[in-house]
Amino acid sequence: MSTQPDIAPRWPTFFFKRVGVTRLAIYTSVAVSALSILAICLTLILNGLPILGQGGIHLLTSDWNPASGHYGILPMLYGTVTVALIAMLIAAPLGILSAIAISEYLPRAFRIPVKAALELLAGIPSIIYGLIGIALLAPFLSDVFDLQSGRTIFAGGILLAVMILPTIVTLSEDALHNIPHVYRETGAGLGYYRYEIIKDILWPIAKSDIIGAMLLALGRALGETMAVMLVIGSIDRIPSPLTNILSPGQTITSKLGREISETAFGSPHFQALIFMALILLVIAVVLTASAQFMTKTETRLVD
Amino acid sequence: MTRQFKSRLFNSAVVAALLIATCVMIGLIMTIFIKGAPAISLDFITAPAQNFGAGGGIAYQIIGSLIMVAVAACLVMPMAFGVSLYLSEFVTSAHMKKILLTALLTLNGVPSITFGIFGLIFFVYGLGTGISWFVGSIILAMMMLPTITLSTYQTINSIPTIYRENAYALGMSQSQTIWHVLLPQGFHGAVTGLLIALARAIGETAPIMFIATAFSGVSAPRGLNEPVSTLPTHILALAQQATNPQALQNGWGAALTLMCLVLFFSLTALIFRYKLQKGQTL
Repeated sequence: MSTQPDIAPRWPTFFFKRVGVTRLAIYTSVAVSALSILAICLTLILNGLPILGQGGIHLLTSDWNPASGHYGILPMLYGTVTVALIAMLIAAPLGILSAIAISEYLPRAFRIPVKAALELLAGIPSIIYGLIGIALLAPFLSDVFDLQSGRTIFAGGILLAVMILPTIVTLSEDALHNIPHVYRETGAGLGYYRYEIIKDILWPIAKSDIIGAMLLALGRALGETMAVMLVIGSIDRIPSPLTNILSPGQTITSKLGREISETAFGSPHFQALIFMALILLVIAVVLTASAQFMTKTETRLVD
Repeated sequence: MTRQFKSRLFNSAVVAALLIATCVMIGLIMTIFIKGAPAISLDFITAPAQNFGAGGGIAYQIIGSLIMVAVAACLVMPMAFGVSLYLSEFVTSAHMKKILLTALLTLNGVPSITFGIFGLIFFVYGLGTGISWFVGSIILAMMMLPTITLSTYQTINSIPTIYRENAYALGMSQSQTIWHVLLPQGFHGAVTGLLIALARAIGETAPIMFIATAFSGVSAPRGLNEPVSTLPTHILALAQQATNPQALQNGWGAALTLMCLVLFFSLTALIFRYKLQKGQTL
């Protein structure tokens, strides 16, 4: 750093000497970051909450029809929850068992390349999943189940399952891998089968971390837009019966993606859409934050 | 059920799960490459799109994507350095530090479409910018912030205290310590974080599709207030005309190109981190 010649203290010089350019830059960047997070929250709240003042009870119906002023969000809530549940039901068992296989069954030498491959897989952009879904998965489903169109809630669930699988595997594998080797040796010394070591010794230790991984994956599944939007069918209807997942549906994200840019800013229609975005944001933030609390590895492990 | 039987059942379930997962993942990658490879040629990469994407190439989409993430990276890097230095050097209470780190990680879990909606309301409607690639860059920069900050923070925070004490013993001020000791040491972490964030940002569609992109008739931008076309939004538009085989073919080509860009960034990040772990002599 060059020293500045000491002349009569004008304001900038005085200011910089007192606070320091470095400090100033750091504080500015922190302030800008904090303000932009604040701006996101405020923008959504200011534009979404007013809909509650205009008959908020109408929001909890299943009739979405902007022309007649009906903004029932239940079909979108149903779609969001169902798609995420299908994805978790497929991906969670598959992911946890694969993680067990990688951590406990495969030779150690495989671990690093497998982890690297998983990381690369987790990075495939969601729009590419959407393209695969619309070009291959939807026609396939309509053939198999003899449907008019394969663009269904089920298709969305399958795509999401594949999308979150790498995340679940890699995080669950970390949880298992972090347990010191001596735990397994002790189990083996007691005459446990490998299955019993995993079930009775490793699982209780890794459980909270694995649940954390599930919450994180669930949060990601709920907030996913592109892949779901292309294959869900985009019809604002709750299927009857409720379990008929082979019918088209709508999620909050697909609704937002399809409609928000064609809706007049500030209209009740717009406010209802933003209100849904707000619900989604709250759910995702709660899930991600609770995932952090689950993954606190403060259990005292003997090494 | 005997113990042995249960054990065999479990072992086969584990092996089956691993096989299924591996097949799905390999199938996925193979699909992208096999479907995309026939569309790729030098012409495809260097020619502008024609006929609503069904003809021509994706030159301007590649340029648009690269410009947007490059500018986003320039916007976010100073912020990320600032916030991570603040976290590691200025926040003294461990409790506060934990809260801020949790907040950053939680920001990573915010659905990407939320950022797009924020950009639409705040910039496009509120500030009246119109559809602009620069707004898209700002929004992408906001999305990249947590990843880069956490990576930089971890590197700077893991520099042993003795480095700082040595600097102070030499009479360096805090700002001199930051510029000459901490930042050079923390540089690796920032670059790794940046590459991971870039790999994610270049594939993002939801945050930019309302605010920064137009589908047809777009070339390289001449000013800040112009829309661009990007690879992800181009794939989106082509996927919606999936009944047209020519459009679909170009869609697969664009998907493979995007995939290669993503792979380039994430592989570089992997190599960078591997070297960092190996050469860590602190």
